Parts: sequence; structure tokens; C-alpha cells
Amino acid sequence: MLKTLKICAAVAAATLVATPVFGADFPTKPIKLIVTAGAGGGEDTEARAIAPFVEKHLGQQVVIENQPGAGGKIAFEKFQNVTPDGYALITYTFPKSVIIEYQGKTGFKTRDFTPIFAWSRSSQVLVVNGESWKTFQEFLKAAKEKPLSGGLSGRGSTTHLMGLIALDELGIDKVNWVPYEGSAGSIAALAGKHLDFTMSLATSAVALIQAGKLRPLLLFSDKRDPHFPDIPVPKDLGYNMSFIPTLRGVEAPPKTPADIVTILEAAFSKAAQEKGFIDIAAKRKMVLEPVGSKEFARAVADVYPKIAKFQSMLTSK
Amino acid sequence: MDVLLQAIAFVLQWQNLAALAGGTVYGIIIGVLPGLGPSAGMALAIPLVMTWHPATALIFMGALYKCSNYGGSLTAILVNTPGDASNAATILDGYPMCQRGMGGVALGLSATSALVGGTIGMICLIYAAPFLADFALEFGPAEYFLTAVLALSLIAAVVQGATIKGLIAAGMGLLLSTVGFDVIAGHLRYTFDWAPVEDGIPLIQALVGLFAVTQALVLAESAASISRLAELSGSFWEGVRTYFRHPLIMVRASLIGLFVGILPGVGQSSAGLLAWADAKRVSKHPETFGEGEPVGVIASETATNSCMPGDLVCTIALGLPGSVGAAVFLGVMIIFGIVPGPLVFMNQPEVIYSLFVALFLTSFLIFIIGMTVARRLAVVTLLPNNVIVPLILVVSLLGSFAIRNEMADVFISLAFGALGYVMLKGGFTPIPLLLGLVLGEMVETNYHRALLISGGSYSIFYASVICKILILLTILSLVGPYLGPFWKTLTQGEK
Repeated sequence: MLKTLKICAAVAAATLVATPVFGADFPTKPIKLIVTAGAGGGEDTEARAIAPFVEKHLGQQVVIENQPGAGGKIAFEKFQNVTPDGYALITYTFPKSVIIEYQGKTGFKTRDFTPIFAWSRSSQVLVVNGESWKTFQEFLKAAKEKPLSGGLSGRGSTTHLMGLIALDELGIDKVNWVPYEGSAGSIAALAGKHLDFTMSLATSAVALIQAGKLRPLLLFSDKRDPHFPDIPVPKDLGYNMSFIPTLRGVEAPPKTPADIVTILEAAFSKAAQEKGFIDIAAKRKMVLEPVGSKEFARAVADVYPKIAKFQSMLTSK
Repeated sequence: MDVLLQAIAFVLQWQNLAALAGGTVYGIIIGVLPGLGPSAGMALAIPLVMTWHPATALIFMGALYKCSNYGGSLTAILVNTPGDASNAATILDGYPMCQRGMGGVALGLSATSALVGGTIGMICLIYAAPFLADFALEFGPAEYFLTAVLALSLIAAVVQGATIKGLIAAGMGLLLSTVGFDVIAGHLRYTFDWAPVEDGIPLIQALVGLFAVTQALVLAESAASISRLAELSGSFWEGVRTYFRHPLIMVRASLIGLFVGILPGVGQSSAGLLAWADAKRVSKHPETFGEGEPVGVIASETATNSCMPGDLVCTIALGLPGSVGAAVFLGVMIIFGIVPGPLVFMNQPEVIYSLFVALFLTSFLIFIIGMTVARRLAVVTLLPNNVIVPLILVVSLLGSFAIRNEMADVFISLAFGALGYVMLKGGFTPIPLLLGLVLGEMVETNYHRALLISGGSYSIFYASVICKILILLTILSLVGPYLGPFWKTLTQGEK
């Protein structure tokens, strides 16, 4: 044991003295993973769930640092100027950073960040009270007759954005959007019949859906959710719709060297395939879907025009 | 109730009792440390309990979550620093009691409040959770708006005696509550492009400023110690006895705490403040509140402790968390394979009822810890100011920083410290400001939500039965203080 330690120390000392920062020797010290929300939320839980497995594949400690505030804006602004040596990474729910860019003045641009890897994807679902419309067609008919009230987990949230896209593509003229802070409020209001429908992540409403108090009518995705196989997607009902992908993943600061990105991407991608991580993901009903660095970058580029189209509607007139 | 007996037997196994005790102690420590709330405490403890039996792990987490509040009340009473936002009202009378050398009594009150408030809250949770959850769902935006208005009407009671200054402070609080992202319209208001306030004025940081920093400035003026007397008078047991001399306050505060806890849309931090204001309103000597009135501590601590089980009602019965702490607890439950919701009482009753039994027992454990260990902490109030003042400042500002790892928050605390000092010297109390700050957003956002739903029609505000009751209560709360004397003159005639 002591011998191993000595060898480790010698090797570490040797690398420190001998080489400048060079991809092949990465990483030689603990890596900081910034979470753009407080300890205990969804982003934080997923980061803490994957971190031990990333440690295993990188051979270095992964230290979580929570930087909540202004929906993550504070963290993004600081992250823009972090040295791109791969020792500081950020994890958040994409595309919230892009929405923040469109909501006010920002110094950062999400498209400048270096995408590493995303492990999970989530989609919005349209839910109604269990005692109201039985099918999506019935709902659509009612929605076209008079404006319904629809709950959102926040103005300018991804639920809002997806709601606006759906309205546009389904030909519904008007909805009275009612923004809440977080999904719990909008779901409670729907369960108490104060709202006509709510846009939310399926995972946020799962308890009341299972109990039959709420009914999911449509999942905004191109394929069904394995945890909720009964919820139809637009394709099943004959609609051709575009979606805003919601990804949980990790990014490096702007201009991170490609060899470091490769090492990190490999470590995160292997970590996401570990049984221990998959078990936690199943309990949290996360939809695991590996998105590599290049594909992640494409998703970032694709989302800008979609959000730009609805920019004016993200804030009220 | 077979399942309840099974749960009791399960909790009494040694490893579960150990988890219960461990969670309680860890929770109290988390509560004492500024900047570390129950959410961070639970998140940090997840790796520790990951390999445990799910029910044992939940007992640990539940105890941690429930007891952190008691730790916060210790610092609130002894060094004028709220451990969490929910302890704000405890400071108002708890700390002045320390200044009068009655720190031991205040600690006795707080431990007894944890016992009684926690027990009443838990009994309601165990026997009526599904019913209470259905009641909570009846509250839509209009009902929330009227609840907030009813709560604001308590300001009238708080400011009695110094009405103008009180209303100025309340107005300032309401104004400050508008800072940040406007949830309804999606605009940033009064942030001057400064990101740290985009979520609104951070509450704990503001409280640290208003109380800890302000008080440090006041203490720095004199060379004595917090307790103005050289020795402590009154004991822990005197606190316990005082508590049971006020059964009416006990019931009122428990119900207020429970009510605030059950409604997911009402900020948990307001429970203590509202119970405190309510106790002041019904008191025969309201002028003593804020000067070290034991009843003030009883009201605020009892409400805070019954609020937490209330908070768990919707979290467990509907899967809808009403606070950040509850959201984290929900996440913990899911990781251990328990899906809270209407079906949990049927699918996994043994886990849920063991959790309930354990939480019930934590109240007694807190009381024992208060009786044996915590009461000795009162001696810190005898430390000379040149030792305690730098200590309070450093620890509280560190806590302010630690919440978001954000230096700007330290400056926010210092700014509120300066504001608090100026207010104090000008004869303003910070309570109306706090009530305004805590309730402002609830009033505003729910007013807008209600009108968005009704399409602009104001009839939504008096459509439901609950709305009508709330309006009636608000009117009573406002004119109540004048009715008594009016009735007297009416019946006795003029003399």
C-alpha cells in the first residue's frame, strides 16, 4: 500500500515537473463540475449520480460545485472566462442557457462553449385533469373553440417554448398561458381544476398520472418514452412537428483543446453505461440517450433559430 | 391500523433508531451552520446512505430534514443569526430574551415548541394526509391571492403604536419583493443588469444582514456582552413551564404553521412570522413583543415546527413538493424506489408509516437534546462583545457566501445590515419589511395568474366558497381591533 502510494507520488511529481499541460497527461488533478442550480434539484442529483463513475474512468476526483442564481446565468457568465484546460466543466439542462441569452443582456454565448457529452433527454408532455378530455382530438376541438388556460413551469421555460411551437403547428389561435415557478405549482393547479391543461415534463406529474388524477394526452417527441409507453407522440396522431430537445449533459469552456475533449467525452460516455448509473436513472425515470460532442454541438446550433422565432413571445407585450 | 403497529416495531429496531438519532444530530448541526440548509444537507448525505435499507435511509433523511430547523432556532436565539429563513421570527423575541439573561428559558421554549408543534403536525400528517392534500388542491390562484392578502392584513396588528413607520417599512418590503425576474411577464425588474438579484432579493442573505450584521454593529457600540446581566437567570425548565401556560397560542400557532405548510404555494418562511404577528394581535400586552416576550418565541417556533409535517402532506400524498427542502426530500425518496403520490399509501404503506413514526419520535429526541446539551449553550451569551461580535460577523457572512458560492451575496448582507442599523436608529422595526418581502411575490403573481385564467374578469376573486371565507376573515382581521371598544361604547353608553 505504502509502496503504491510512493510510486504514485513519484509519477505525479515526475509529470508535474516534466511536462506542460498536454492532452495525453490529462487529467493530473481533480476536476470541478459546476452545477447551475442548488444542491438537491434534478440537475444536481444527476451530476452527483454520474460523478463517481466519471471518477472511475478518469482516475481523478470529480468535485461538484453548486452555483445557483438567476436560473444559472451567474454560473454561465463566470464559466465563459474559465481557463479551457478541462479542469472546470459545467452541467445544466440544455437549452436553458440559450433561452437566458434571448431574455436579457448576457456576456456569454452557449454556442461558444465546448460540448462534451449529454447523457439524458427529456420531453414535454401535455396533461389534462383526469375528469376532463379523454383524447387529444377532444382536447384540440375544445382548444379551437375558445381559449383554454394552460399552466407553464415558468415564462420562457422549455415548457413555454414547446407550448408555443405546438400552438403554432396545431393551428390553435390562442391560449391563456399561466406561468408558475417550477412545475409543482402548475400541476397542483391542474389537479385542483383551476387550469384546463399544463405543459410539463412527464416525470414531474408521474404520481398524479399513475393515480388517474391527471391524464397525459401527448408527448412532444419523435418517439415514445419507454417509461410511459402509453402516451402517444404527434407522429402517431398524424402530425409532423418539430421539437425542442431538452438535454442534460456537460460542457467545457470555450476553446477547449480537442484532445482534452476526446478524453472527457470517453470518460463520460463510459460512465453513462455503468450499471450503477443506469439503475439510478431508471428509478428517476430518466430517458438515457448518449449524445456525443459533435452531435451535442449540432443540437446547440439547431436550437438558436427555433428560439429566435418565438423570442418576442417569451416575454409579455 | 395494523400497518402502523408494524411500522412502530420496525422503527424500534436498533439500526433504525441509530439512523434516527444520527439524522437528528446531523440535522441540528446542519441547521446551526449558517449557509447550510436542509436541502444541501440531504444532498450531501445521499452517498452515505445509498447502500442502506430504503426505509432506514429515509428515516435518516427525514430526521435530518425535520431537525435542521431546530439547529437554526438555536443560532437565532443565541447569536441573532437565522440558520434558515424559517427561523426569522424566532429572532424577534428569542434574542432579546438572551439580552435579558433569559437565554436558558428561550432554549426551553424552543425545545418544547419543537416537541409540541412537531407532534401536532405529525398527528395531522399521519391521520389526515390524503384529506388535507385534497383540501390544498382546492386552492387556486384566486385563493392564494386572498390568503396572502389575509396574511398582509396582519401587518396592521404588527405596526400598532407606530403605524406610519410600520407602513413605510411594509411598503419598502413589498417594493423590494418586486426586484428580480417577473415570473408572469418575463421581464427583469430593478436589477440594473446585476445578475445576483435576478432571482429576487435572496432572503437568507437579507436576513443575515438585517439581524446579524445590524446587531453586530449595535453590540460594537458597547463593551459588554450579549446578556446585559452578568449571569443567566431562569432555567430550561422555566421555559418548559412557561410554554404550557399558553395553550391558546400553542393551538393557534400549530394551525397557522400547518396551514402554511400544507399549501404548496405559500412560502415556508412565512409560517413563523405569521404566527408571531397573530400572537401579537391577540395578546393583551402587544407592546412587549419584540422586546423579549416569551409568547413570541412560542408562537414562531411552534408554527415553524408544525409547518414541516404540513409541507410533507402534498409532497407525499400528491408527489408535489411545496418547498425546496421538500423537493429534495422527494428526490431522495425516488432514488430509494419510493414514488410518493396518491398510490403510495396502498403500494408502500410500510415505508411511509415507518417514516411517519420516525418523524414523530424525532420531536421527542429534539426535546431530550435540548434538555441535556443545547441548554448549556446559553453561556455563549455571557462572552464579552469583543469576542462574540467578530465571531458572529465572520460566521454569518461566511454562511451568506456559502449558500450560492457568491461574493455578491456578502455585499447584499452588508447592505441590509446598514439598512437595518439605520432603521433601528430611526425607530423602525424590520418585521413589516420582512412580511412585505416574504408575501409580496405571492400577492402579485397569484393576482395576475387568477386574471389570466378568468380572462380578466374579477369575479374569480369571490367565486368559490373558500374565497368568500378568506374575504370575510380579512375584513374581520382589519376591523376586529376596533369592534371591541365600539361594542363597549354601544352597550355601556357614553360616560
